Amino acid sequence: MSEPLKRWICLGCGFSYDEALGLPEHGVAPGTRWADLPEDWVCPDCGTPKAQFEMVVIGYAPGGPQLAQTA
Amino acid sequence: MNPTFVLRANERGHDVISSDGPTSSYVAGHPGAFITRESSFNFHQYQAGRPGFGPIRVFGDETFHGAGCGYNMHPHHNFVICAFVLEGELTHINTAGEGTVDRLRQGDYYVFSAGSGGKHCELSISPEDMNAIYLWVLPSQLYLPPSYHRGHFDLRTRRNQIIQLVGDADGALPFPQDLRVSRLVTDRKGAFAYAPRSAEHGLYLFVVDGTLTCGDATLGRRDSLGASGVKTLEFEAADATDVFIVETAIIDDDRVRAWEKEQAEAS
Repeated sequence: MSEPLKRWICLGCGFSYDEALGLPEHGVAPGTRWADLPEDWVCPDCGTPKAQFEMVVIGYAPGGPQLAQTA
Repeated sequence: MNPTFVLRANERGHDVISSDGPTSSYVAGHPGAFITRESSFNFHQYQAGRPGFGPIRVFGDETFHGAGCGYNMHPHHNFVICAFVLEGELTHINTAGEGTVDRLRQGDYYVFSAGSGGKHCELSISPEDMNAIYLWVLPSQLYLPPSYHRGHFDLRTRRNQIIQLVGDADGALPFPQDLRVSRLVTDRKGAFAYAPRSAEHGLYLFVVDGTLTCGDATLGRRDSLGASGVKTLEFEAADATDVFIVETAIIDDDRVRAWEKEQAEAS
């Protein structure tokens, strides 16, 4: 059984990365695991390094996933 | 009841962020302006230390030095950010809702829930330095509609009582997380008690000024303590003491436990 898809949040600005959603507008396909993002990947909003993201278990507000996918 | 941990003023992370050089796009006011930041918790790349408290990731004691100093317009998502102005004046330009230009002085405070995305710019434009306490908190839900609220704590009329500034009490600013921020300013010595909603709620007390005694611990200016698993926290505050009391659900403390284990092994 595979690991559930996870969500990560940038501690520099709060930008979130959701493995289920990916970031299609930034060239990251839905389903892309955090571990598969390059180590030199940085927050698209504030440039904070990947290592400064924290995995979070927080649900979305209504309509949140649609907004998150195009953030 | 003794605190779970005590953090002395000089044990906090200390950073000086210049308006020149590599941080000049982030910090406003070149030339001459700079920000000093004393961080109670681990903050991003700036310091090691206790990785937050419940959903709190930042508890910062920041001073903007020099006219024009501050943070240039920058984006946020999700985090709920509060500033409580202690001294000076903070001009806050925020895109939440229809957009706001706010000027906050001593006793004023704001709650900015960045939610699905917002930007803000914070500046001290008067000659006086600006000192504020900043909180950054993970929200109860991701991508909430962005919101901005501001309030005022009247230091002259609300003495010797614990006043809730942020949370669910009458007149407090709403906050999208299980968290309450209260403030106590004394003009005489007194004994106080704070009962969190449940023993699963933690308390973080930060002494802005004065002296506070809790169990075996005596705290002075800018010292702080954490307590969890308590039904009621009793403490004494000296004359002319100013304290912030933050109550929050201890949601997930795996990172904190790992950090505490590392500290114990290192010592």
